[in-house]
Amino acid sequence: MPADAKHLAARRELAQGISAVERPGPAANQRIQAALAVSVAEARNALVVGLTGAPGAGKSSLAAALADVARAAGRRVAILAIDPSSHESGGALLGDRVRIDEHPDDDGRFTRSIATRGSGRSLAHVAAAATILVEAAGFDLIFVETVGAGQAEIGIARLADVLLVVEGPEGGDEVQAMKAGILEVADIVVVNKSDRPGAQGAFDRLRSGLALGAGAPELALVSATAGAGIGELLATIDEKGASRGARGRTRRVEAHLVAAAESHVDAQVREATASGALATRAEQIVAGTQSLTGSLAALFGITESPDA
Amino acid sequence: MAERTTPIRVLIAKPGLDGHDRGAKVLARGLRDEGFEVIYTGLRRTVDAIVAAAIEEDVDVVGCSILSGAHATLLPKLVSSLRASGAGDVLVVAGGIIPEADRPALEQAGIAGIFGPGTTIAEVATFLRANARRR
Repeated sequence: MPADAKHLAARRELAQGISAVERPGPAANQRIQAALAVSVAEARNALVVGLTGAPGAGKSSLAAALADVARAAGRRVAILAIDPSSHESGGALLGDRVRIDEHPDDDGRFTRSIATRGSGRSLAHVAAAATILVEAAGFDLIFVETVGAGQAEIGIARLADVLLVVEGPEGGDEVQAMKAGILEVADIVVVNKSDRPGAQGAFDRLRSGLALGAGAPELALVSATAGAGIGELLATIDEKGASRGARGRTRRVEAHLVAAAESHVDAQVREATASGALATRAEQIVAGTQSLTGSLAALFGITESPDA
Repeated sequence: MAERTTPIRVLIAKPGLDGHDRGAKVLARGLRDEGFEVIYTGLRRTVDAIVAAAIEEDVDVVGCSILSGAHATLLPKLVSSLRASGAGDVLVVAGGIIPEADRPALEQAGIAGIFGPGTTIAEVATFLRANARRR
């Protein structure tokens, strides 16, 4: 084996592990448990940083800029970039690597693009499991980047130790509209592209809006591409994450358990839709020949206890 | 062999120095619509960067678009680097402007498929489904 191939071997093992846990089942579960055992034995304590926000806000560039600063400080950093799968074809176009510089000789970095596949929610089912494997492989800082779209925020908020919501300079009124759901779960709201006109205005609008609430998130104004404010942002992330202790790892396991449950239900829904059972049952319920309670049991195995 | 239950993963790369990525983007979009998971890496990647990305992404296929005329050196280097990194089972295919006379040497070097101008997305998809590794 040539000298340059050996360090790729570790990355290859991790990469294949992630592929393996993308196929749910007992083998995937065993692999995840083995990774947890490694992390406990080695006293790992990875910090998982979620990044969410609208398409075009600059999440990939921001993750890359933060990773560069952290790597320069000697930390081992990974980026998991999640993009949606097409509902029609099942395919996906994963383009986040375009904005992330390649470092082929650096074993202290790892980047993986993940498609949401069958998950009806836009955080991929495999995301939590992937963070568990990446931690076991010795990465200290794990960025998980996902397109912000409704339910995805709940998923990433469950998984991340620290959650960033990333906005572009044009985020004015839309930001206001998103606020209720997303800003409740954000630890840090980042206005990116500070080098563009309007960024300061967006920052000021957010600050005045957020100042009213208790437990308001931190605010940051940065430029990922110009490198402005990135070191300060990383310091804020570390500060926010400092209290996680062993909670980080149990949080990831909780997120995986929820993802596995959601994956199971999503599969049942796909099956009932494809087989026509869902449509048939709906017609029968409308016609009065089947009950809702009986149909939930028949279609999804859901048994509801009688009302108290 | 068992039917695969997950999409085939394809890295679309543009090695070398030419800046024409329209073909690569059309192919990336087209393969997505054919049900592939396509990782697009952008322009001007080195062979080492493509190999590392292919390994981290655990892809089944690396597709290179080359319009610069550098195929004769870059593609064999890519195949040998993948093999040296334990990823010799990754299918390597190429598209772009590749003269007929250069094909035998490239095939000899392990380039599994060469798609010239006029190849349809469906033809590429069929080839990849037939030839990508099973898992």
